[in-house]
Amino acid sequence: MKKLFVILLAVVLGTLLLTGTSPKQKTGDPEVTVPLRFDYYYSYEMVCEALEKLHKAYPQLTRLDLVGKSDEGRAIYALTINNPKTGNENDKPGIYADGNIHGNEIQASEVCLYLADYLLKNYGVIDEITKLVDKKSFYIIPSVNVDGRYHFFHDGQHSSSGRTIYVPVDDDRDGLIDEDPFDDLDGDGNICRMRKKDPNGSFIVDPDDPRIMKSVEPGKKGDYIMLGFEGIDNDGDGRINEDVPGYVDGNRNFGFDWQPPYVQNGAGEYPFQGVGLKAIAEYVMKHPNICMAWTFHNTGGMYLRGPSSKLLGEYPISDVQVYDYIGKQAERITPGYRYLLSWKDLYTTYGDSGEFMANLAGCFSLVGELSITKDESFKTFAENQKEAIDSAKKGGEDEEDFDFMRYSDLEKEHLKYQDNLAQGELFVDWHPYKHPVYGDIEIGGWVKYSQRMPPAFMIKDMVHRNASAVIFSAKQTPEVSMEVFETKKIGDDLYRIRVRLGNANAIPTMTALAEKQNLYPKDMLKVSGKNIRVIAGGVLRDKYTDQVSYKDKRPEVQFLLIYGFSTFEYQFLVSGSGSVSFDYSSRHAGKITRTIQLQ
Amino acid sequence: MKMNGKHVIVLLWISVFFVFFSINGWSAPQKDALTFNTYHSPKYVEGLLKDIAASHSGNAVVHKMASTPGGNDVIIMEIGTEIGKKEKKMPAIWVVANMEGTVPVSTEAALYLIRSLIDQPDQWKSKTWYILPIGNPDAALHYFQKPLFMDARNKRPYNDDMDDQVDEDGVDDLDGNGIITMMREKDPQGEWMAIPGNPLLMKRPDWSKGEKGEYKLYTEGLDNDNDGQYNEDGPGGVNTGINFPHLFKYHTVIGGMWPGSEPETFSLFKFAHEHPEIAMTICFGKTNFCMTPPRGGRKEAVDMSKIKLPEWIGKIYGMDTTRTYTMEEIMDFARTLAPTGFEISESMVAGMLGLGAAVNPQPEDLKFYNAISEEYKEFLKKNKMDAKRLDSEQDEDGSFELWSYYQLGLPSFTLDFWTLPQVEEEKKGDTLSPEKLETMTNDEFLALGEEKIDGFLKASGAPGNIKAKMLMDMIKNGMMTTKKMAEMMKQMPKPKSPEGVKQEDKALLSFNEKELGGKGFIQWKSFNHPQLGEVEIGGEVPFVRNTPPVSMVENLLKNQVPWVFELAKKIPSIRIEKAESTSLGSGIYKVKAWIENNGFLPYPTAMGKRDQQILPAIVTIEGKDLTIVEGKKRSMVSDFRGFSTRTVEWIVRTGQPGQLSVTVSTTSAGADTKTVSQGKGGVK
Repeated sequence: MKKLFVILLAVVLGTLLLTGTSPKQKTGDPEVTVPLRFDYYYSYEMVCEALEKLHKAYPQLTRLDLVGKSDEGRAIYALTINNPKTGNENDKPGIYADGNIHGNEIQASEVCLYLADYLLKNYGVIDEITKLVDKKSFYIIPSVNVDGRYHFFHDGQHSSSGRTIYVPVDDDRDGLIDEDPFDDLDGDGNICRMRKKDPNGSFIVDPDDPRIMKSVEPGKKGDYIMLGFEGIDNDGDGRINEDVPGYVDGNRNFGFDWQPPYVQNGAGEYPFQGVGLKAIAEYVMKHPNICMAWTFHNTGGMYLRGPSSKLLGEYPISDVQVYDYIGKQAERITPGYRYLLSWKDLYTTYGDSGEFMANLAGCFSLVGELSITKDESFKTFAENQKEAIDSAKKGGEDEEDFDFMRYSDLEKEHLKYQDNLAQGELFVDWHPYKHPVYGDIEIGGWVKYSQRMPPAFMIKDMVHRNASAVIFSAKQTPEVSMEVFETKKIGDDLYRIRVRLGNANAIPTMTALAEKQNLYPKDMLKVSGKNIRVIAGGVLRDKYTDQVSYKDKRPEVQFLLIYGFSTFEYQFLVSGSGSVSFDYSSRHAGKITRTIQLQ
Repeated sequence: MKMNGKHVIVLLWISVFFVFFSINGWSAPQKDALTFNTYHSPKYVEGLLKDIAASHSGNAVVHKMASTPGGNDVIIMEIGTEIGKKEKKMPAIWVVANMEGTVPVSTEAALYLIRSLIDQPDQWKSKTWYILPIGNPDAALHYFQKPLFMDARNKRPYNDDMDDQVDEDGVDDLDGNGIITMMREKDPQGEWMAIPGNPLLMKRPDWSKGEKGEYKLYTEGLDNDNDGQYNEDGPGGVNTGINFPHLFKYHTVIGGMWPGSEPETFSLFKFAHEHPEIAMTICFGKTNFCMTPPRGGRKEAVDMSKIKLPEWIGKIYGMDTTRTYTMEEIMDFARTLAPTGFEISESMVAGMLGLGAAVNPQPEDLKFYNAISEEYKEFLKKNKMDAKRLDSEQDEDGSFELWSYYQLGLPSFTLDFWTLPQVEEEKKGDTLSPEKLETMTNDEFLALGEEKIDGFLKASGAPGNIKAKMLMDMIKNGMMTTKKMAEMMKQMPKPKSPEGVKQEDKALLSFNEKELGGKGFIQWKSFNHPQLGEVEIGGEVPFVRNTPPVSMVENLLKNQVPWVFELAKKIPSIRIEKAESTSLGSGIYKVKAWIENNGFLPYPTAMGKRDQQILPAIVTIEGKDLTIVEGKKRSMVSDFRGFSTRTVEWIVRTGQPGQLSVTVSTTSAGADTKTVSQGKGGVK
């Protein structure tokens, strides 16, 4: 499992020696049509257009909220889905989904767009979806880092660049800001690798596939040197690409468990330095009905739950049970993806948005890491099966599947895939270039729309499965029923009334973490009536032996939370006459009223 | 709210005669009219600063930082010769005051400082001053309103008790005297008793002395929402003074949801980011880093000299995980993993390994804190301000001053201007103050001998199970040092007198009697409470412990505020001492520049070095027909100790060696340019 860490370490350190970038979608931006198509990636402009068109096509079910503006002034939109005919959006469990907080993790937005499109186009068509849309509110922000998305599509990038928000940072601390960016020297929209022939080099061309560069064994001489990503020394300091735009990582700049940049790389100078992030946090806090939140990223094929740092301690056990319930189901919905614990199975992060959702917004929060590059292989079913069995024999997991020395093998496999399934679109062949510093070099490597995201023909499967995981969790948001199951006259104008509350789904009406940290008021059950007085009231522990835990003060207001798949009973002693109302209200599970007549 | 010991300390009270000033709105003051015979309300302060800015428009300006949830403005005054310029060349001193809104005298000190600056243009010839007189205006208003009540929360609505209503159960001035004090109710289950011989004070009984509680204690008020609790959800939300990111505590009732959740604090984060010219911060409030350097002794998440590597790293990279590594060793290893030209910083590695933040002052920095502390004590002595007074309060997690030191990486100083005069204790044998202990070596301490040490332990109120022998053994084993002991003693509650009166309460009783004519306490008086029945209302008046009578204010400020100018003199100042060229022949020259910090403070502080927040000094060379043969176009020089010199060298090619110049620029330590002179030797 820890190899996941290494992969990410490699990305962060830029050690993926041969990662590359790619051309623009060759046809330019295709037209956006509703229902949405999922055989291409949506540029920032197309994401906006798609949301506008969805809203226009389904005006009665949707609202388009301008959440805020980004650091470069681009609009960040949320599409809300709610059927006002079945109730106010705040009175229904809210499901939140966002993606693309990292500018280069673009397919996360497609998952969000698909979720919206699928729910809307199937409303009134598929019963399950109609019911779901009628009962829940959805808040969908397909692209969080809108500047990042814009630049990923329009500038020269590689699949791991352009991750952060566009807050200027002086990376090399020379007093000049963002002055040495990548340079798309060959103008193909991709930042590829540069290589140069050198008799003292430490790389050779792989004999099996001349596109692949291989490290030489220690002690041997190669004939190439690798010169890093495409670029020149723009500021004349002897270094190349050392101060590119960025580095405030939106997913380290949220206000919960935030740590400064010397502790958490990319944290930003202070929490919510990114104006768009601040707007999103405020938007979330203004929607207290959100009880389930998904944030989509790439890559690796993972569903991560928190805590994101060991120091936070484990979540309350009853919350973990809910996470397990959803996470294990999601693993089945999307085979190959693994449900993992963030700090333990990946690495520690501070100030990420998922933890903000769990610890301050007080909802269940899962991170989806989309796509498994390894799956883009060129093998028969039997070969794949054999590999899986071998791996299982070695103790499972894929501890062996990442290894720096084996990297060129993985790449070779991936090239076969691209040759035969993507018809060569994913890799830019090495071609000569006259570099101002290095002289005659060659540029080549993977295009930006590769490695961390699947080629276009695979998008549909990915988005459908992941949207289905969200839909599964949405179905598990609390659904509370209430009945007054006994009214017994026990004296002159004195009644014993018993009420039962039940939650039919897995997600409780409040996370145990929110309860522990006092994030918001619990659910309330209020008893009222014109001519009545509540003399006593409390939880009915045992209805047969009449064991009640009476609440000392204000017995007419009870505070509670209802766990998943469970019921809760209350008993009230009420004096008076006429009608008595029982009002249940919950941030996450809406409102119910029952009225009875005392007689 | 029901009172526990902490609440009693936190809720302080003021006497009627303090309040005996005009509850002033704004009535066109002039700077010349600014006197310190009254405390000044936030509205008055705002008007005053705007007036000063209007009459000194070239050199003073007021910026609005934020609007508070209560609709007040947070304002900052800028004084200097570069006002209006977006990028400042001169270093700046950032002074903030009254961050919690509960220390009125700190705002007065800020006003006094502004007045002094207006009178002394010399102080801003080469520095910009930013002065924020009230960090928490919503809370600061309490002092100027009735009923008098100390509360550090701004006016953000907050559901403290998480019931069905917000801000529904605050204090109530039941006896109508304009002051919120305490209520005590006789109750068999009471947890409080009046202190025998000191009926004004309450304490928790000590059952081992045969004492039994007889009172329940509440702040003055009703149970407005009938939930059985008193004043548990008063109006207000966040204490902005503890809403900063260093050691911020999440999930507290009054600290805010996240650091910078409030407009008051968030605006300061942005301000700090937009003003890299700030060289030092000084916070006027309740702590005093000039008297006692920022405290250490917090448990570090990880000891940076003994880092354990997780097992999987050992597995992948063949590292020995049974031993510990220093950060330097890990960095050496990590660099081998990075591609050429890619620089791995400690922060990247620390982040990946989850090593956490610094929580104690860096030892290097304590050197300047300690030296400045000595000087400060001399200053106070000279100004006859060295009479013994109660200790200043300890710095709080999430405070401005900790954020400034740990996260901005700046020399961060704080000043309080008054605490109650200390009452001389009767001699009870030898005592050993933490201050004295700190100066002793381990051997000197051991030389005192077991008997004496036991005496000290007893006198200082150490728990009975701590014996001299044990302590001496620990010192011998290296498990304890005199420094550590001093640190621990400082953290310990002050010893109580036999009857249970704390030192600070004794000081209050004495001050109340001698200086306040008894007005610091409201005598307990019976009251028929609509919910509790028969109670007594009385006790300490809010603010009486931290707010001197107004008659004392001018003298306190006159003799203490000028210390700020002494502090400001100490900021680092980066200059070019000299720059020389030596001919190597054929139009090639070696140029060497000596860059000096002629300030007392380092650039940056050791903490600033660790948190990487202060950019290095950038040194450049210019000249006609200049080609740099060797050396950097922009040399980055960092890590200047106080009064130290670093050098930068180039080999250049030029036809005009007489026209070379070297420039150093910094964000907060000035800039300088020097023509390169011809050095000795070299090829003619």
